Amino acid sequence: MRIVVAEDLYLLRDGLVRLLETFGHEVVATAATGPETLRAILDHRPDVAIIDVRMPPTNTDEGLVAALEARREVPGLPVLILSQHVEQLYARELIADQAGGVGYLLKDSVFEADQFLDALERVAAGGTALDPVVVTKLLARPTSAPHLARLTERERSVLALMAEGLSNAAIAKRLFLSEGAISKYTTSTFDKLGIHSDDSANRRVLAVLTYLKD
Amino acid sequence: MGVARGFARAVVLLALVAVVPVVSIVPPLVGQLTGSPWSLTNVWTWIGWLLLFSAAALGLARPIGTLVRRLARRWSGLRIEDGYRQPGPEPVQLATGYWWNGHSYERTRRDAEMDQQWRRRIGDPALWRDVRWILVGAITLGPVCAVPPAALAGAVVAFTRRSPFAIVIGVVLLAIAAAASPYAWRLLGPLAGRWLRLPDGAAAAERVRELELQRADLTRAQAAEIRRIERDLHDGAQARLVAVGLSLVTAEHLMDADPERAKALLREARKGTSESLTELRELVRGVHPPVLVERGLVDAIRALALDSPLDVSVVSDLDQRLEAPIEAAVYFSVAELLANAAKHAAVGKAQVSFHRSDGTLEVVVEDNGPGAAVLVPGGGLDGIGRRLNAFDGTLTLDSPPGGPTRARMEIPCA
Repeated sequence: MRIVVAEDLYLLRDGLVRLLETFGHEVVATAATGPETLRAILDHRPDVAIIDVRMPPTNTDEGLVAALEARREVPGLPVLILSQHVEQLYARELIADQAGGVGYLLKDSVFEADQFLDALERVAAGGTALDPVVVTKLLARPTSAPHLARLTERERSVLALMAEGLSNAAIAKRLFLSEGAISKYTTSTFDKLGIHSDDSANRRVLAVLTYLKD
Repeated sequence: MGVARGFARAVVLLALVAVVPVVSIVPPLVGQLTGSPWSLTNVWTWIGWLLLFSAAALGLARPIGTLVRRLARRWSGLRIEDGYRQPGPEPVQLATGYWWNGHSYERTRRDAEMDQQWRRRIGDPALWRDVRWILVGAITLGPVCAVPPAALAGAVVAFTRRSPFAIVIGVVLLAIAAAASPYAWRLLGPLAGRWLRLPDGAAAAERVRELELQRADLTRAQAAEIRRIERDLHDGAQARLVAVGLSLVTAEHLMDADPERAKALLREARKGTSESLTELRELVRGVHPPVLVERGLVDAIRALALDSPLDVSVVSDLDQRLEAPIEAAVYFSVAELLANAAKHAAVGKAQVSFHRSDGTLEVVVEDNGPGAAVLVPGGGLDGIGRRLNAFDGTLTLDSPPGGPTRARMEIPCA
């Protein structure tokens, strides 16, 4: 994959680039500030951009702003946000455009290199990869919408794993169920949430969004 | 209504400022009328009157001053501190045998106590401010407040005369009484504000005392916080990183001899790093939440609201960031209030609103809980109040039994 890496700390940027290249990916550009990030993404149009939230010049949420701006210019452009902390607030902002291709993970998720690269590929393919902590919090919100309350406990946990970005096969492994059972749960979840779309990846994203929009 | 109330207020004020002059003028008048040698033409009568006046002024100054301050507060909304000296400490005997009363050394305990009493009662500048008011009030507020009752009394007398001219005079006087009533008492505010107010020096001294207390509070809280952070780092992340280093060193040695164990140690090291990061993240959140840095107060509270078990709505009309220390103080105060609310199972909803006007930030946290929350000295709410005090801010709590609970924080910000 062609990847842009935006991270202001040299050590982390270098480490990320090395990790990605070890696994055979091509880092087409790196950036260390918000404006640089936006330019790099728009110039190189990578398969996916890995972006840190806090970057110069203001050291606030430059990276997130650049990512959202880039996705306004190029809808659905895959971005994976890496941060030292995860917030529901940012997660909601990232998935609000409903275009998919969004990842939001803690920086330590790179320690599990295989899972991290899986997540990266999912995002590049238009799926989602949200940190489990954020997903748990997102789904723990008291919901008042009636069609959401109709979800069973099992359907909710499947939905949570879907939000993290797992495939049916991966969900089945995680819940010790057969893949067939999982696909039944996902179908009933889609029905209850009133999602009728043909594109299966998009359907999964929509399900999560519907749940969050309450 | 305005006329009747104004009239009553004028009469009350007149009585208050006239009492000392009247009390002291009565004996000479009686002397004059009864034909005793204490007539108004006798010089000694006037000397006696002066003594009497001084005694009455000294004795009544404090109660009258207190009453006037209270009325000024209630009627004119003017808050005037009395600034009386507080009782000193118990005298203590020193090694030299002398007694120290907090101000001077005396030979005996009795002397020490008497000196203290004197300083408090007669030597108190606040008392002399009250005495000065007796004089000033009598010649300024007195005549003005005398207008309505005097005009009314004149009218009553005129009406008893039954001549057309007297009736006209009576009507005119009545009109004067009615016209002056709503206004005469209003002189109280400016006069009391000017003459009873603490001198700038005293107010400044009071402020210095307040600031000293706040500073002591702050430095203590800060030291405790730094100790906590140090302990957390020392026992947590630091220790874990040492363990990670040990695993790596061992893995390095085992790499050739026992690659399987070396791999296991490397996995362990990786886990240790993850755990240290989690701990550090929690620690950082407690010191200064990252969202606060990245997004400012309102979004940080929004993020907090999303994580709260309550259904919290956030409304704000702030259009720019505040100073970082104020943001942090308000953030942690709101966090504590929401945590308090969440402790009550009955609370389902809460609202946080931010409003800024005239250089004041107003933050209101309201929940639909059972109410009856109280400010306990040393408790969590008191802690919030003290945290805000450092910025000259205040916390007011309105929590009737049955709810809702409403905590209002006000902080001056330029």
